[in-house]
Amino acid sequence: MKHFKRIQFIIAFSFILITVVTVLIVSFMLYNKFSNTAEDNADLNMGQVVEQVKYNLEMYVKNMTSIFDVVEETINRSPSYSSSILEEQLNSIMKTREDLISIAVFTKNGDLVVNIPKMEMRPYTLLQRQSWFNAALETPDQLSVSSPHIQNLFKTSYKWAVSLSKQTTYHRDGLASKGVLVVDMNFKTIDELSRQVVFGKRGYVYIIDSYGNIVYHPQQQLIHAGLKYEDLERVLTYSYGSYQDELNGEQRMITIKSVNPIGWKVIGVAYKDELLTTKSELNTFLLWFLIVVIIFVLLLAIFVSARISSPIQRLARSVKMMGEGHLNTPIPVSGIYEVEQLSRRYHVMLQQIRHLMDQIIVEQEAKRKSELDVLQAQINPHFLYNTLNSVIRLVEKGQSSEAVTAITSLSRFFRISLSKGKNFISVQEELEHIRHYLIIQTIRYKNKFHYTIEAEDEVLHFLTMKLILQPIVENAIVHGIELMADRGMIRISAKVDAGKLLFEIADNGLGMSRDALDQLLKNTPNSAQGSGVGVRNVNQRIQLHYGPDYGIQFESEIEEGTTVRIYLPVEIAQKEGEV
Amino acid sequence: MPRKMLLLLMACCLLLSSCSVDGGLLMDNQERNIDLIVKMDHGDYWSTLRMGAEVAAKEFNVNLRFLAPPNEGDIQGQINLVNDSIQKHPDALLLAASDYMKLAQVTDRAAYNNIPIISIDSEVGSARVKSYIGTNNYEAGQRAAERMIHLLGGSGKIAVMNFVQEARNANQREEGLLDYVARYPNVQILDIAYCQSSREMASAITREWLDTYPDLDGIITLNAEASIGVGRVVKEAGRGGLLKVIAFDSPQETMEMLQDGTVQALVVQNPFNNGYLAVQYAVELIEGRKIADRIDTGIKVIDLENMLWPENQKLLFPFVR
Repeated sequence: MKHFKRIQFIIAFSFILITVVTVLIVSFMLYNKFSNTAEDNADLNMGQVVEQVKYNLEMYVKNMTSIFDVVEETINRSPSYSSSILEEQLNSIMKTREDLISIAVFTKNGDLVVNIPKMEMRPYTLLQRQSWFNAALETPDQLSVSSPHIQNLFKTSYKWAVSLSKQTTYHRDGLASKGVLVVDMNFKTIDELSRQVVFGKRGYVYIIDSYGNIVYHPQQQLIHAGLKYEDLERVLTYSYGSYQDELNGEQRMITIKSVNPIGWKVIGVAYKDELLTTKSELNTFLLWFLIVVIIFVLLLAIFVSARISSPIQRLARSVKMMGEGHLNTPIPVSGIYEVEQLSRRYHVMLQQIRHLMDQIIVEQEAKRKSELDVLQAQINPHFLYNTLNSVIRLVEKGQSSEAVTAITSLSRFFRISLSKGKNFISVQEELEHIRHYLIIQTIRYKNKFHYTIEAEDEVLHFLTMKLILQPIVENAIVHGIELMADRGMIRISAKVDAGKLLFEIADNGLGMSRDALDQLLKNTPNSAQGSGVGVRNVNQRIQLHYGPDYGIQFESEIEEGTTVRIYLPVEIAQKEGEV
Repeated sequence: MPRKMLLLLMACCLLLSSCSVDGGLLMDNQERNIDLIVKMDHGDYWSTLRMGAEVAAKEFNVNLRFLAPPNEGDIQGQINLVNDSIQKHPDALLLAASDYMKLAQVTDRAAYNNIPIISIDSEVGSARVKSYIGTNNYEAGQRAAERMIHLLGGSGKIAVMNFVQEARNANQREEGLLDYVARYPNVQILDIAYCQSSREMASAITREWLDTYPDLDGIITLNAEASIGVGRVVKEAGRGGLLKVIAFDSPQETMEMLQDGTVQALVVQNPFNNGYLAVQYAVELIEGRKIADRIDTGIKVIDLENMLWPENQKLLFPFVR
């Protein structure tokens, strides 16, 4: 199932489906359209050809009729049937036409009057039984056209003929008599007219007379021999038109036209499978077209879907690797536009992640270091040593009350420094802490400076990071006041300024140059002279914990003094018990 | 997906499809070789049969070889022709055997060589023949006898001019004739002669008969050549009409004799159909279809009265052109 949901499969499948359905529909419509047109054309074409044959036959019949008229007129005008002039005239007519077999005049009783060419008559002709003879007697003024038959009149080879016959007048020694004129013609011209006509490879035309006797058929012998068959009964019910029939399992198209005035019919026969070869050719063509299109589309679909899906798959693989923790896996950025964009964005995102992770590592390291520093500051042995030295001196001088103050302050100082391991203490404690520090330092520096500590009441309960004031104050003493000639002054205050907790440590010492200030916050290593926890460290701790909005600001003028401002967020201290 | 492979595949497909379209136009109707061996290389009957065979050959795309010895009595000649034909190994062999028994051996040999054989006109004494196409000769003999006896009014003396003694069709016609005549005790057969399908020999024998049997009432001839030979002598002797003649087949000369009264009736076979159907069925046999054991092409008795009936015109004069 997973397979079928793959984008490659979906694209390829829908591609193929749509194309195949479209091609099928188009093919089907084309096939229908073409085959209908082909059928119509075949029908039309056949109709035209049959019409042409019919027209030619009519012309031929007209022609023969006029020849018959000429023959009749010649006989009528001749004063004597036995004259050699008549014979010559008739002979010359015979010679002009290849399709004339014989011309003969019979009396009404069936006796021969004259015949061209001159031949002996057969003894047993059954003249009175022949249709042409009777037809001439029955319809004296009308030209009769007989069915095809064997002309058995004269002692010559047996020939199939169509007899044109009519009652006529001939003269014997100036006396007019009635007789029957018969002109026999063979099928030469009719054959010629019809033989050329083909429909497809096997289609043909044939001609029948009004009784259904075959006048011309390309397989006349076979029909006569009963080996082939035409459905003449059905043909005879039509005088015009076309229909389809089936012979020996083959569909045939039949077109019929009547020849005027003799009532013959021209029948065109075409084999449907041949006529519609275009249809089967079209079939084959469409089939191959379909196969080629399907193969082509299949390949195209595979190709296109691969083009689309493979970058996505590659991307997916990369993401998977990434997910498993291989952050340095390269991201492929090629392929289609969308995937490329996706890859790019992903790449950027990944870089960001890498950057952030690096940053976290650096920050964690810095935090750890500064905490160590704080820890170190809590138990600064140097400071302890100096302070204890001062106490010893006081004791030696006998200033025991001052020594007690110093030791008390030292004790308080360390107590707050440790604060039971807490990192955050109240502002009050922090101020207390710095006050003890200042007490100790005043003793140590022999009242070289004054100090004041002020705080707004509300500020006292705020939380602060511990041990942030001490390095600043130490800095102020060491760099500002110690080298001063006069007595120095340090003012420490805590208040709320613009929503932030602000510690301000101002001295009136030597002040610092801009360079020195910059050095102070940047990369000055811990001052050997200081308490061990640098100003920079304080700033770093604040910013690591609270963010870049907070930290230390310096303001200093040479010979005027330095003011240090420490900004912290306002945080209310929890109740004592909970911290 | 490697692009090169794809292109190659597409090219292959296109090539394949174009090839197959060309290949689709193969002819499935290949030419077949059929040998037609008859009894004699001349005579109206045989030429009409040949024409029928040739029409069918043209229609069914058959390469037809027409083979025949110079006369019907040349049995060895016909055996040689069959042997030659076996060498050529046609797709089928059509044989009108001059001798029922003597052609049997060579027919078996042809069958042994996997050449399908169809007997036409007269049968051959081999069980390997697939079918017989032709006239029902026994019936033909009966019809000739029937007409003769009718003409004689049930009694008289007749002679029979047969053609080749051991030819199956000759024997069957004779048998049919004798069987029919046997029902009429007053009809006596004076002689049965064999003219070897030679007009001259038939004429000579007829002259002898006219001399030997002055009271001869009728002659029945059993093939076309015999008919012509007999007819000529009867006409010559001026006995036309007095001596009844029942002839066989319808060459033009016999037709004339019918009309001038020398011959009273013709027993007409259908040689065109024999030839045509022989080839047609041979093709069907080659194509593996089953064909009937016997195909009777029919006979008709033609006389002056019915000769110009339309259907008889067609039978007697099949060639319109």
